[in-house]
Amino acid sequence: MNAPLLEVRNLAKRFPTRAGREPSPWVIRDLTFAVREGEFLTIIGPSGAGKSTLLNMIAQVESASAGEILFQGSQIGLGDSKAMRPGLDRRVGYVTQDDNLLPWRTTIDNVLFPLEVQGQLDDKSRAHAQMLVDAVGLKGFERYYPHELSGGMRKRAALIRTLVYDPPVILMDEPFGAVDAQTRMQLQEDLLRLWTLGRKTIVFVTHDITEAILLGDRALVLTKQPSRIGAEHIITIPRPRNVKSFLTMPGFAEIYERIRAEVL
Amino acid sequence: MTTIDQATTLLEREPPISRKTIVIMGRAALAVLLVIGWQAGAETFGSIFFAYPMDVVRRLIELTVSGQVFVDLYATLRVSTIGFVLGTVAGVLLPFLLRRSKRWTEAIEPYVLGSQGIPKYALAPWLILWFGIGDTPKLVIVTAMVFYIPFVNVFAGIRGVDQRLVKMARIVGASETKISREVIWNSLMPFFFTSLKIALPRAVSACIVGEFLVSTEGVGHYIEHARELSDTVGVFAGIVVATTLVLAVNGIVEYLERRALAWRPTDRDMVL
Repeated sequence: MNAPLLEVRNLAKRFPTRAGREPSPWVIRDLTFAVREGEFLTIIGPSGAGKSTLLNMIAQVESASAGEILFQGSQIGLGDSKAMRPGLDRRVGYVTQDDNLLPWRTTIDNVLFPLEVQGQLDDKSRAHAQMLVDAVGLKGFERYYPHELSGGMRKRAALIRTLVYDPPVILMDEPFGAVDAQTRMQLQEDLLRLWTLGRKTIVFVTHDITEAILLGDRALVLTKQPSRIGAEHIITIPRPRNVKSFLTMPGFAEIYERIRAEVL
Repeated sequence: MTTIDQATTLLEREPPISRKTIVIMGRAALAVLLVIGWQAGAETFGSIFFAYPMDVVRRLIELTVSGQVFVDLYATLRVSTIGFVLGTVAGVLLPFLLRRSKRWTEAIEPYVLGSQGIPKYALAPWLILWFGIGDTPKLVIVTAMVFYIPFVNVFAGIRGVDQRLVKMARIVGASETKISREVIWNSLMPFFFTSLKIALPRAVSACIVGEFLVSTEGVGHYIEHARELSDTVGVFAGIVVATTLVLAVNGIVEYLERRALAWRPTDRDMVL
């Protein structure tokens, strides 16, 4: 097996204690896992399990209280918020729960934003961006402002804004949380298709067991607070997977039941 | 008639007059009321208290024909524009510089806000002493009156920036300079335009009051001169000129705002 691309060792987080209060509890403690290159890892946890905090720490926008994070075997500075490098010099992409599109930029200008700030805007990268726009069905909406798009379209735009600069690891924090079931399935299908094209390394956090099984090569289950990895499930359901007929997938029901028993 | 029929009629019925026409008619009606009230005031109290509107109109025509009004408008516009630009640039730049350092902000902010309490017009004799009787004392007053408006608004805008957008920009590799220019600047555009709308008329009126104190030309000079001669018509004519100037200047700001903030969702019912 290859060396892991991203490794988290004994990671822990507690928020600063306010004066005159009980010491803050550990949100995350002794959390350890690793992701291989090209792997689609899903992490399932109930709400309040510190899922967003975990990804924030990996993306270097929040400091860790203890533990280590290794990227390609070398350690990432933790702890000190001044030394943090958000996005780890563009090697870690992050698709957050909110789309965070810039409201004054059109769809295409939002998608091109990372390339623009990285000084990588040229004909080739523009063509690549346009290809992604077409692939997720946003063709014709390039000149629309975010407030003129539907929730699902905004999610797609946010997704391809991260894909466009091709970071080796992409973190996803319940990116399809706030949309209806129909749109969600469509988005999951889009994501799987794009992933098949590029085989990115993805760490996808969700509270939805079905989603975790459908998308992932491997699913980790977080415990209640303080969170650590409670269980690991290798998902052997063959790809390509049809999102719409997950119930009939071989082995789906069995994994689902096992995970559900652990989560509740 | 069934309910559905009624609903259809409601939907299909074109409003007899458009919203825009109603607003314009309303404005005209208010103007007529204002002039009637003005005329009534003049007739009740006499022309020393209120100049007759027709006398004011005649004076305005005379001033236009003689070109005097343009000389005064130019003088007032020159000083208020330069003062406005200086005050706005300083009032926008300072919050941007302070954004980088919380400590500097905390150290400097009380001084800036406290200096707001200085009565600028009371300092006029000293400003003349320091800077002479040219444009400079007026420029200082206008700049000082304008500065706080963008300063307070832009600061509020910077503090109100959606931190999630800043976080996103950092993650995709944007530098702090790029974040200032792209995320912060665009986020605070609405605040910036609010401050322009308050600051521009403020600049004009500060300049006019400055001209009361020291000037050889300008709308304020004209009003002050008329006041010294107890020329009520002249004072009223000057006030009309000043009001028109402020309205014109505001029109320009609103036009710029519509263009710069075209991306904002608009409430269609509010469009005039």
